[in-house]
Amino acid sequence: MTSTFVLDQLKRNQINDLLEKGQRYDGRRFDEPRSLTIETGVIPKADGSARVRLGDTEVVTGVKIQPDRPFPDMGDKGIFICTAEILPLAHPTAEPGPPGEDVIELARVVDRGIRESGMVDLSQLVLEKDKSVIGIFADNSVTDHDGNLFDACSCASTAAILTCKIPKWEIINDKPTLVEGQKSDPPITTIPVAVTMARIGDHILVDPNADEWACMDARITITTNSNGNICALQKGGDDGFTPEQIIQCSEIAISAGAKIRQKLEQLRQGR
Amino acid sequence: MGGRDSDLVLLDENGIRCDGRKVDETRNISIKAGVLKNANGSAYIEFGDNKILAGVFGPRDVHPKHMSDTDTGIIRCRYHMSPFSVTERKNPAPSRREIEIGKVIKEALRPAVMLEKFPRTAVDVYVEVLQADGGTRCAALDAASVALADAGIPMRDMVSACAAGKVADTIILDVNNEEDQAGQADMPIGYMPNLGKVTLLQLDGVLTPAEFKKCLETGIEGCKQVYEIQKQALKDKFFANGEQQS
Amino acid sequence: MADNKRRFVIPGEVITTGPYRPEQNVILEGKKIIATKVGISEIYDDSVKVIPLAGKYIPKSEDLVIGKIISHSSLSWEADINSCYVGMLPGSDVFGRNFQPDTDEMTSKLKKGDLIAARIVNFDRSRDPLITIADRELGKIDSGELVRISPSKVPRLIGKQGTMIQAIEMATNATITIGQNGLVVVASENPDGLLKAKKAIQMIDEQAHMANLTDKIKAMLESNSV
Repeated sequence: MTSTFVLDQLKRNQINDLLEKGQRYDGRRFDEPRSLTIETGVIPKADGSARVRLGDTEVVTGVKIQPDRPFPDMGDKGIFICTAEILPLAHPTAEPGPPGEDVIELARVVDRGIRESGMVDLSQLVLEKDKSVIGIFADNSVTDHDGNLFDACSCASTAAILTCKIPKWEIINDKPTLVEGQKSDPPITTIPVAVTMARIGDHILVDPNADEWACMDARITITTNSNGNICALQKGGDDGFTPEQIIQCSEIAISAGAKIRQKLEQLRQGR
Repeated sequence: MGGRDSDLVLLDENGIRCDGRKVDETRNISIKAGVLKNANGSAYIEFGDNKILAGVFGPRDVHPKHMSDTDTGIIRCRYHMSPFSVTERKNPAPSRREIEIGKVIKEALRPAVMLEKFPRTAVDVYVEVLQADGGTRCAALDAASVALADAGIPMRDMVSACAAGKVADTIILDVNNEEDQAGQADMPIGYMPNLGKVTLLQLDGVLTPAEFKKCLETGIEGCKQVYEIQKQALKDKFFANGEQQS
Repeated sequence: MADNKRRFVIPGEVITTGPYRPEQNVILEGKKIIATKVGISEIYDDSVKVIPLAGKYIPKSEDLVIGKIISHSSLSWEADINSCYVGMLPGSDVFGRNFQPDTDEMTSKLKKGDLIAARIVNFDRSRDPLITIADRELGKIDSGELVRISPSKVPRLIGKQGTMIQAIEMATNATITIGQNGLVVVASENPDGLLKAKKAIQMIDEQAHMANLTDKIKAMLESNSV
């Protein structure tokens, strides 16, 4: 959350008092995320898209796919890049202008979670080795900010990529040329799911909303893949975790992640 | 990260790594405290082939004023890589990676520094990577921590950092540049040794839950080793040549 | 280390456990007394503290400090007092109770760069410390050189009942004004004396925590070279 958001003290006290009694302000269990709705194909002009609503946080993600030059030293792999932006309309304290460190961190964490999982088999996205590859760009726009943009953006990106269609290009006269009317499914190897947990005192809470975000001591985002393995992690916030708490968080991330993965699997099957 | 093919043998049949180290060995580390005249506190670290300088100012007046907090001091951190620090010259403008690392280091130091004692002030931490060779954020955090102590800013604990990782399906301590590029996982860790709290933690790469636990434990052991070096650096500044205290 | 009640500590180290009162630069965590600064820990009968080897000046009421004017508004001057906060010197302190901000010219009395000997009136962390120069021995400093040392070394520079500073002044014919904030002004008509005095002050800053300092200073002052 942008740093100028001040949570009123009364609410802060209420949240803490309830936590001591084993309750959350909005009635959820400690390991329960907010309600999650995923719609795909909401931006027909994009090659893939999704709108995710996680509680009152909303993200719209578009996937654009186009030919590109490969990265040096990686001529046999396609390109995957993920970005994120908090639109000024998402929150009163969000400002237009170049991204601050919070947004940069958000984009990089979401990108790493998907990239490190190997979700898209980039070796299947080569048009001409060392010269021309397919680039998949997932751009997240946060339209409503009520905490935990990491999970919302991650989910929206994953959903948009799962349901995208990759156009076909052929190399003609040394240039990639679009072949109309032939699209294929993306080469998916695994489904990454990010789970963010906040620590308030000794309590670990899954999917903190904006109020919990404002009073948390620290947070951790853990991304797992379909094998139940951990493929990315980011600790954030002004305080820390004991090693035991970190292991606890990893276990929660695996089980909570599995439940969200089921929803994403359904999208894939619904094609 | 990505596990590129490489001719490099990351781990041979004797358990020796590509730079001759054993799996639980860190690279050579040396730290010198109080190396700059103008900064309130400073430190220079060599961690393997990493060469990093940290300077600290504060607590001091905050500009712009709207950034100051009436209840507590704030901490700001800038992590920057010099253009000549890497093989291919790096554009001097701050990259998104540098901004994220600055944030992550700031958040690793924040729990250690007793900022509530200095409302309306800022502690500014500046870290400059002069030569990079894998694990710069941990080395930077180690230097920043010493610089803060050197400045006499009250701290609850030091922050000591080291990375652990996985190459050739084996958990290793202190990932160097080649191991980061060609290995399977890299986990930088920042740890407060006396309070037992992890304040920097990231992961790139895939680990099973059991590997995750081992990687974390291995890294924390590395952090404890770094702590002893940080302590000696501060002692050497004030008692060079093993002179006695009064 | 002959005396095991004093040892070098860094932040986070446990000095001791038990029913001690935590004093400067230590905190109590459960039963453990933990150092919060780099310094020398001292365990007394009922309390523990750390003598810091570094750190900025924390203003205390009644302290004599040396300040450098860095700016002013129409109502007050701001002075660098080697602390986390700037010292505030109200215009009324200099112009008297009938101070008129629009007619009384601030810069006619004190301007940017001027050095002052001042006293801390009061300090609470919610606002900048208030200082005053309205006393006979306070006010603008017209001559001398400014030397900065760590505030934690000031007691050593003064010495037991002023013996150290007196020894330096006598040996160098210098007048030395010491601010509790680590700013020191050295004035002397004799350029060699000035140099020697500055060197003595510098030696104390670097070695106050080490053994045999008094002898070393004495030897340096008595020698003909600096």
